[in-house]
Amino acid sequence: MDFSLQADPPGIGAFRKEVRGWLQENMRGSEGLRWSATWSTRENEEEYRFRRHLAGRLGRKGWLFPMFPAEYGGAGLTIHHQTVLETELAEYGLGLNHVFYTIARIVAPVILKWGSEEQKREFLPPMVRGEISVWQVLTEPQGGSDVANCQTRAIRDGDHYVVSGQKVMVGHHKPPDFLWTLVCTDPSRPRHENLGWLHIPANLPGITIQPMYMMMGLKNSVFFDGVRVPVKYLVGGENNGWRVANTHLELEHGGEGRVGVDPLIERVVEYCQKTKIAGGPLMEDERVRDTIADMMIELNTLRRFNQRNYWHRFTRDPHPYGGAQQRYFQRMMRLRNGERLQRIMGCDALVQDLSVHEVVDFEYAVRTGPGQLHGGGTLDTDRLIFARRLGLGRPTKEQAPETI
Amino acid sequence: MDLRLTETQEMFKKVAADFVRAEAPAHLMTQWYRTKETFRPELYRKAAALGWLGMLLPEQYGGAETSLTDCAVVFEELGRGPVPGPFFSAGVLGAQIVFLGGSDEQKKSLLPAICKGESIPIPAITDQAAGWGPEAVETTLTGSAGGFILDGSKRFVFDAEAATGFIVAARTESGEIALVLVDRASAGLSIKPLVGFMVSAAEVTFEKVRVPGSSVITAGSGWQVLSGALEKSLPMLCAYQVGACQEIFGFTAEYTRGRVVFGQPIGRFQRVQDHCVDLSVHLDAARYATYEALWRLDSGLPATAAVHEAKAVASEGYREVCNYAHMVFAGPGTDYGHPLMAHSVLAHTLYQYLGTPSHHKHSMMDLLYPISPKHALR
Repeated sequence: MDFSLQADPPGIGAFRKEVRGWLQENMRGSEGLRWSATWSTRENEEEYRFRRHLAGRLGRKGWLFPMFPAEYGGAGLTIHHQTVLETELAEYGLGLNHVFYTIARIVAPVILKWGSEEQKREFLPPMVRGEISVWQVLTEPQGGSDVANCQTRAIRDGDHYVVSGQKVMVGHHKPPDFLWTLVCTDPSRPRHENLGWLHIPANLPGITIQPMYMMMGLKNSVFFDGVRVPVKYLVGGENNGWRVANTHLELEHGGEGRVGVDPLIERVVEYCQKTKIAGGPLMEDERVRDTIADMMIELNTLRRFNQRNYWHRFTRDPHPYGGAQQRYFQRMMRLRNGERLQRIMGCDALVQDLSVHEVVDFEYAVRTGPGQLHGGGTLDTDRLIFARRLGLGRPTKEQAPETI
Repeated sequence: MDLRLTETQEMFKKVAADFVRAEAPAHLMTQWYRTKETFRPELYRKAAALGWLGMLLPEQYGGAETSLTDCAVVFEELGRGPVPGPFFSAGVLGAQIVFLGGSDEQKKSLLPAICKGESIPIPAITDQAAGWGPEAVETTLTGSAGGFILDGSKRFVFDAEAATGFIVAARTESGEIALVLVDRASAGLSIKPLVGFMVSAAEVTFEKVRVPGSSVITAGSGWQVLSGALEKSLPMLCAYQVGACQEIFGFTAEYTRGRVVFGQPIGRFQRVQDHCVDLSVHLDAARYATYEALWRLDSGLPATAAVHEAKAVASEGYREVCNYAHMVFAGPGTDYGHPLMAHSVLAHTLYQYLGTPSHHKHSMMDLLYPISPKHALR
């Protein structure tokens, strides 16, 4: 096995050089700006603007979705090229998944799989070029993890679907261009056969967005009040929404895979080296070292699960249970890490530090520990899916849905 | 990046899997572990004929000089048995100690014999129950090159019963650690099996055992030789534990399909599923920590911390996997006639062997973040 992210196979080295040079050029002017590999409510306007511009520049080269077909705006490259882009961006604290504020990293592959040729040609290029922001809009107040229990109605009326209902706990603090939405297209049909998937322009009349202030940070409620959505925005066909959902959820639930390291541990070590107690650095306290060792090893385990899932996804060899496993492990680990931070640094683990991004803020890690267990479906649904994929108590293993 | 096994490795894997199926089926394993008859000379000779002993050694010594990952693939399959015998202790660790620290003479006389399964040198390292660092080496080596006297007792020697000789870590008069080869038949040497919730381990006592000067593998730098050998060897032990975990996962998942209570297969109960889910996490955590460490070693990257990590994760994982499987099998899984018991006993033994997870986490941290000398005494 070769876990290397830096040793390029023959022919890829030149591409790395090209990307490195390109980034040196295009990251100019970013000195002094703070970056994070994920989106952050703590970015200032200048940082946000630079990030969006960078996304556009990467997108125009097809580098945001390097493995996507060129006809839809991608670069038609290989997993090795993509790994180069990921690792070179990581030098700046960035990653492809989160260069810009969108869930397009999941939505675009789903459209590639389920969209009609016309839809692919219309919807994909702006997404793949990094020009638009998409929110995923799934959860409903009464449904929660039971996503198929979808009450938001989309009733066909001529060339339109008329959408009414409420979604909760979606999006973030930057406005969306599209709402990627699960709807009920035919309430009279049985569960799972009554759903549709709409790619809804966010500026249509009848859409209201209200902020929700939550443990994890800012989320939103989206209200649809008789919103008339042209039929061309239905992806995957009439009453086929559940199958589209399966592809989407597999990607969202860990199957996406990634390469790269979590920067939190580095900052923990730095804190412990700087902080003195009884004349010596905290880093030399045996109990602290034991705790850090456990954190470090679990973060490494997560990194390896992520890399395995990345490999399986982009070599088109879906891992049967890797997504659910990654997600279950990641969430439990984050919960444990919250407690570990408190053990290591006392009340400093509960004090917010707005000068750094969420990903390396101890308070954020502690606070979101119990909160992140539920986003996109509870820990229990993770384990249910995991168990089905392992084939526990059933004659055949449930297969992972195909993703791209 | 390429997370597949190579074609050669797939071939090794298949040959080893066939061997385990034919020579070490579950019912035999259960019986051998129950009666603690874990050294099977005929089985060991067959494995030697397949070239699995000293796989890592150069051809001139009778080895195949494969990559570490190639060798690990074989050990993963052996772990599925779990096939007992000094495959690792002598075939990998013993061989590596001799290869890294031995004189030309010692290498020529010992290594080919190790590869043929004729010589089985078993490392005897710690004098303490709870410690595997240099501080736990207390057995003394006194005298001069004309003739040494070895005196002390090794607390936990894995595969001692299989030994034709021992590689003993001992303190010289100047306080340094030396490694010496001691013939099993030496006067003053005694082996006392450790009885309890462990297997294939013994206490080996050296009472004024005479050792010729030519038997010292290396004087003065014994601990470095041992550390070097461990770094290359431990991943094989990890792979063995990964294979064991994989086997347990297989028969546990199967049990959740066939065992029916309260009118349905137990795998339909979410609490039972939870045990299997946690089991699977430990299995794969161990698998990828092990293969990443192997990749680092085979690629010539710094690997010491990764090897400590892998040993910690794999030993902890094997024990946890057994514990979760026990929750699924409940009462019947605690019968010494059940296949899980061989694993459960071995998992606890290997948890200790060559250092607990805690020991290796400490070693990993000390390597990555050394403690400054003035605080080390605090």
